[in-house]
Amino acid sequence: MYIAGVGIISPLGSGPAATQEALRANRSAIRPLDLFTVGHGKPLPVGQVDGLNEPSPLPRTHQLAYIAAMQAMSVCDRPPDAIILGTTTGGILTTEQLLREKVTDKESYRYHGLASVAEYIAGEFGCKGPALVVSTACSSGAVAIALARQMLLCGKAATVLVGGVDCLCRLTYFGFHSLQLVDQQGCRPLDRDRHGMAVAEGAAMLLLTTQKPARPLAELLGAGLSCDAYHPAAPHPEGRGALMAMQAALADAGLNPADIDYINLHGTGTPENDLAEAKAVNTLFAAPPPLSSIKGATGHSLAASGAIEAVVSTIAVSADILPANTGCRHPDPILGLLPLAGPISQRITAVLSNSFGFGGNNGSLAITRPDSFSPAASPSQFLTGLAIHGCSCFTGAGDTAATMALLAQGAPVSGLADLETIARNLPPRLIRRLKRLSRMTLSLAAGAVANSGLDDKPASVFMGTGWGALSETYDFLTALADSGDQFASPTDFVGSVHNGPAGQVAIMFGATGANITSSGGDFSFEQALLAADLLLADTGGKALVLGADEGHHVLAPLFDPSIAPHAALADGGGAFFLSRKREGAACLAHLPFYQSRTTEGCIDLLLESLGGAPTLKDRYALLLAGIPAAAREEGERQLAGFLKKSGLEVPVVRYREFTGEFASASAVAAVMAVSYLIKGKVPGKLVAGEDITLTGNTGSILVLGLGCSLSAMVFSRP
Amino acid sequence: MSTLIEELKVKIIDILNLQDVSPENFDENAQLVGGPLGIDSIDVLEMVVMVEKDYGVIINSQEVGEKVFYSLTSLAGYIEKGKSGSAS
Repeated sequence: MYIAGVGIISPLGSGPAATQEALRANRSAIRPLDLFTVGHGKPLPVGQVDGLNEPSPLPRTHQLAYIAAMQAMSVCDRPPDAIILGTTTGGILTTEQLLREKVTDKESYRYHGLASVAEYIAGEFGCKGPALVVSTACSSGAVAIALARQMLLCGKAATVLVGGVDCLCRLTYFGFHSLQLVDQQGCRPLDRDRHGMAVAEGAAMLLLTTQKPARPLAELLGAGLSCDAYHPAAPHPEGRGALMAMQAALADAGLNPADIDYINLHGTGTPENDLAEAKAVNTLFAAPPPLSSIKGATGHSLAASGAIEAVVSTIAVSADILPANTGCRHPDPILGLLPLAGPISQRITAVLSNSFGFGGNNGSLAITRPDSFSPAASPSQFLTGLAIHGCSCFTGAGDTAATMALLAQGAPVSGLADLETIARNLPPRLIRRLKRLSRMTLSLAAGAVANSGLDDKPASVFMGTGWGALSETYDFLTALADSGDQFASPTDFVGSVHNGPAGQVAIMFGATGANITSSGGDFSFEQALLAADLLLADTGGKALVLGADEGHHVLAPLFDPSIAPHAALADGGGAFFLSRKREGAACLAHLPFYQSRTTEGCIDLLLESLGGAPTLKDRYALLLAGIPAAAREEGERQLAGFLKKSGLEVPVVRYREFTGEFASASAVAAVMAVSYLIKGKVPGKLVAGEDITLTGNTGSILVLGLGCSLSAMVFSRP
Repeated sequence: MSTLIEELKVKIIDILNLQDVSPENFDENAQLVGGPLGIDSIDVLEMVVMVEKDYGVIINSQEVGEKVFYSLTSLAGYIEKGKSGSAS
């Protein structure tokens, strides 16, 4: 798998050439923030990108992503098959300002969501395939690249534009400050006097191809993911997860530790991170190769950092340079590592690049000189769907049983899930710091595992959420603004990250495998299912796939285009405990189709992916249609087109009429499908007719996602 | 001092959401951080914010923090000292 093109914009400059020059000069770009006002006190040192167009109709994150994407795509004259972006901030910098100005016009918030970054890039570059967003805090960029690698290996795409992006904003600037993780004197990774990170911004993109381009820059030979399952914000003290991620990347690449000639460390400059990472490196390498963290030069650009460092690793193998560990004057003897004091010109063949994040989320990448090693991983032949062993859901009606009972009466289940019901089975100590979304997610996870009746635990977690932890985000920003930018809650900051809930699930179950949170608006659950389908064979064992969103009285109506101002709120979600093993499974799930942008002829492609019109009639007994209110016209048009072309004459349930409007309503629809398959019948009142008996091959259920994107999930008997 | 301790008990139970603790059974001399209440580093930082916001006393180093947050009594003592220090 080749790295055909790269793009990078960071505090060091724009473009691979400017970046290389800055690295050769061992220059640090960290300086006091001037992007926004910070109340009283001196601005903290940050990594800020100069030269963006301000003001712009687009948020800063979107602009940064576009610049990096333009550079990476300059080597290619056709759209990529798929786009995968790691981001945590989306349009939050703009949103922060709008909230302070008490703007209530929904249109102003249209670029808030993480999904909007990927959708924007997909639109600009004409990508018709999946446009996915990975949000695993500071490892997002690396995790996105690992997911892209798997998509290419499976043959689901031949070219993927992948990367990471984040912009400076009040949330991260004051958030990391409230955790006392910012070094007031600039960032000094691995130094004995290091005092923390410098929050930064930037973007980097890589064009990955399975076919060898004319001039490949490097190969992405392997990728490894893991989760500490230890603490929401602090790394495992022995670097357990870091070690697992590096080992997994080497195994995926078919390399030995001795093959690595340079390690690009995560090296944030916080005392705990650098110590944990050093322990992991010293455990894996008998004599560690040259290594450095570039965060003393760039700062820590959070979701972008994994991609920025993948591009820097690409520069290292293609331009023969090992970057310095800028900012470190006195290497900490306790770490037992000797970081590069200055840049070195040297021909190297293999780099390992580390990224770790909140939620204990870890990713490690092996990047090598083209054709230096024979790849270990061959295109695999899995992707045979997922075997569901247990499920659970929450809606305004309550838990799975309460929800299914109301639906069987043909009654709506919309509304806000009751918080007491949600927390009913969770230990008070475990959830005392958790707000609505995390509580709901933990409860869903526990419910799905219990429902399976298996004495087994998940190894990996895949979570989809359209809008993330709205309560924590709102509470953090409100307290900050109300105190004149002086006081912010560290607990809310840690809880505000999109992958907070999935990190909590990992801690609860000790799930140390891949842990991915996706955010794709109304298709967030579908993105999580896609990620699970791509990665499950890699991680083995069982997994949890979840989708959940919370109804927040202020933010939900502002952000979600389908929630009308002052409308009654609805929320909830669904969870599945699954594996690849069909034996004893309750039912099977597939995601045969997912296209982020609807195009002419996309209904034909959808039909084709389902095996063509003739097979449809013989297979399906029910169609659950997901049409978000904001895309009702388009969704109804697509549905009518699909029914006409397929000739399918089965009851159609527009499930949002029952669940209410929230981004991950499709997770509840999926639980409905599984529940009906287990019971062997669909309640007649749901379809305003007779009970539908589900038997054999003819009793499958199709769940379509319609509107701005198009997706199909298929649920069938094993 | 005892009034301050009682006040802190209520505040800490509230901001850390210690549902199974009441001011009556909150032992002011017991180990606060890493003890039976499950209070960890994030909670300490949450209390740092509260102490600065409500009492104007700043705790900005881990070394100081470890001593200050040893127990409720040590925290109250530090706040008293800090307040009188800034007043003089």
